[in-house]
Amino acid sequence: MIFNDFIFYTLAAILLFAGIRVITTRNPVYAALHLVLAFFTAAGIWLLLEAEFLAIALVLVYVGAVMVLFLFVVMMLDINLDKLREGFWDYLPMAGTIGLLMAVEMVMILSGKYFAPTTVASKSADYSNTAELGRVLYTDYLLPFELASVVLLVAIIAAIVLTLRDRQDSKSMNPAEQVLVKKQDRLRIVKMDAVVETPSVEDPKADKEKS
Amino acid sequence: MLENYFPILLFILVGLAVGLGPLVLGKIVSPHKPDSEKNSPYECGFEAFEDARMKFDVRYYLVAILFILFDLEIAFLFPWAVVLQEIGLAGFLAMMLFLLVLVVGFVYEWMKGALEWD
Amino acid sequence: MDFLANLFGSYWPAVQLTSWTLIKIIAIVLPLMIAIAYLTLAERKVIGFMQVRIGPNRVGYFGLLQPLADGVKLLFKEIILPTASNKTLFLLGPVLAIAPAFAAWAVIPFDATLVLANIDAGLLYILAMTSVAVYGVIIAGWASNSKYAFLGSMRSVAQIVSYEIAMGFALVGVLMCANSLNLGKIVMGQAGGFWHWYFIPLFPLFIVYFISAVAETNRAPFDVAEGESEIVAGFHVEYSGMAFAIFFLAEYANIWLVCALAATMFLGGWLSPVPFLPDSILWFLAKMGALVFFFLWFRATFPRYRYDQIMRLGWKIFIPITLVWIIFVGAMMQTSLGYLFH
Repeated sequence: MIFNDFIFYTLAAILLFAGIRVITTRNPVYAALHLVLAFFTAAGIWLLLEAEFLAIALVLVYVGAVMVLFLFVVMMLDINLDKLREGFWDYLPMAGTIGLLMAVEMVMILSGKYFAPTTVASKSADYSNTAELGRVLYTDYLLPFELASVVLLVAIIAAIVLTLRDRQDSKSMNPAEQVLVKKQDRLRIVKMDAVVETPSVEDPKADKEKS
Repeated sequence: MLENYFPILLFILVGLAVGLGPLVLGKIVSPHKPDSEKNSPYECGFEAFEDARMKFDVRYYLVAILFILFDLEIAFLFPWAVVLQEIGLAGFLAMMLFLLVLVVGFVYEWMKGALEWD
Repeated sequence: MDFLANLFGSYWPAVQLTSWTLIKIIAIVLPLMIAIAYLTLAERKVIGFMQVRIGPNRVGYFGLLQPLADGVKLLFKEIILPTASNKTLFLLGPVLAIAPAFAAWAVIPFDATLVLANIDAGLLYILAMTSVAVYGVIIAGWASNSKYAFLGSMRSVAQIVSYEIAMGFALVGVLMCANSLNLGKIVMGQAGGFWHWYFIPLFPLFIVYFISAVAETNRAPFDVAEGESEIVAGFHVEYSGMAFAIFFLAEYANIWLVCALAATMFLGGWLSPVPFLPDSILWFLAKMGALVFFFLWFRATFPRYRYDQIMRLGWKIFIPITLVWIIFVGAMMQTSLGYLFH
């Protein structure tokens, strides 16, 4: 158990460091990368709590997908840092209040009876966290699960509506159309009478040009 | 369970070492002769004429967003696939409803031309 | 031994465990390194023969020392740090590219008992590791502060994430058959001869997985990220010496990884194809090698895809195919024919 504690405190220290760097670093790309580190260490802490599936899903979804989007955005938009920092002092009281509120809430929740330390029942050797999750997610918690699909649908549609603009200058081609092209669409055979032009032998100038 | 993850932790550290080791070694043994021409970013022999970090087509963001959504879908499918035998027909239908809703989104995306690259 | 035990006192068991695990890790990493090095030679040889050339044959008999010579050459080349690049991130890029490619091997079962970390969520772990691998590419492209590198990395990332979806869906099919995320159990689910292997009931998914794997590793014909004829070398254009070598190693490590995964998930891992031959790690290596050969064959055969074609293949063809097949398999499992899929 001492070793687990050691791992926990190491991960917690890295997590705190990464979290602080996220908000203090000046370069948004560095901030995003520290957030990646924060997610990664958070996954490690979840793993210590034996939440196997959730921990790895955290890496898969947040590190592997969400942060890729974040990085895309901060890397590709030329973000003017000075502009971002302009209103810092104006927003500080508001942000401080919200932060304090969240801290108080967390203390209240964590000191409540739900999070009182309990001994975790030891699992049998072939215990599968994922299977356990699956057993309840698709039966007992069916409604939230189906609602999740609606949330995802809304997200898909919102993403498309907000970002998709048709480009007028594109010269794209439609492969389906290309495949379906028939000979008749492209090629017109015109019947013509064969006409043989008799070369004028007398003209030496034309001969020269040919050779 | 946790004892099984200890080798993984070590392996990740070894993986990082496999990357860092040769880099450090290379730094030590290789020459270091900086030269402003050599160190300038490659641009077919031209002087670099603007910042390399440019604005990008919005489609790349769209791909990233759609990737998140589909990745979540996969995250939901994994536990389902594992327990499909146990939850039987009801579980199967539950996932079909879930997929149906998302297929609506996929079809919308397709019809809107969000998947076209031009 | 006793001296060491006294030295570490009560920590001795932990030290023992750590060093023993490290030895096992090195037993995986070293052969993997050799396999990677010789894959580069095999690639040049195979493509050489396919194009009626000889390939490298100067360094050592049959060119067998060529990878070593390449390595030594790269080691003594200067690691150029471009001006206006972010130096730390620039050097972090290759490390982040190779670390997941190696770390994922922790859960690959080489044999019924030969697996380093027999975790329950093995497949999920591998998927997470491969999705982390894009950071190497993103960071390298951005930190270089070069237009070609940036373009290449953005292309590459969009391509990798697109094919990751198809790949994930294809793996869901395997999970439905195997009912477990543990790679060892997935292999055992295919016991009893090659007609029990999952590539038969999941044939479309196997094909989708394998093609996605080629796209994931940025290999020909999906290597527009490198696209030497248009964006010189993509995200690693500014890299030289060992920093470049690490990207190179990561690419080949990833090839071995996806092939190992394909062999485990669809081709029965270490199981022998016919019941009268014993199961052995050699089968696993043979299957992996055969799949890797396809990668080389593809490169020698196919012309490069256009970028819009790549994205179309990933989103508009593979995702529908995998979805339909998952639903089909799921539906069949509800009928009396379900046994065909286990």
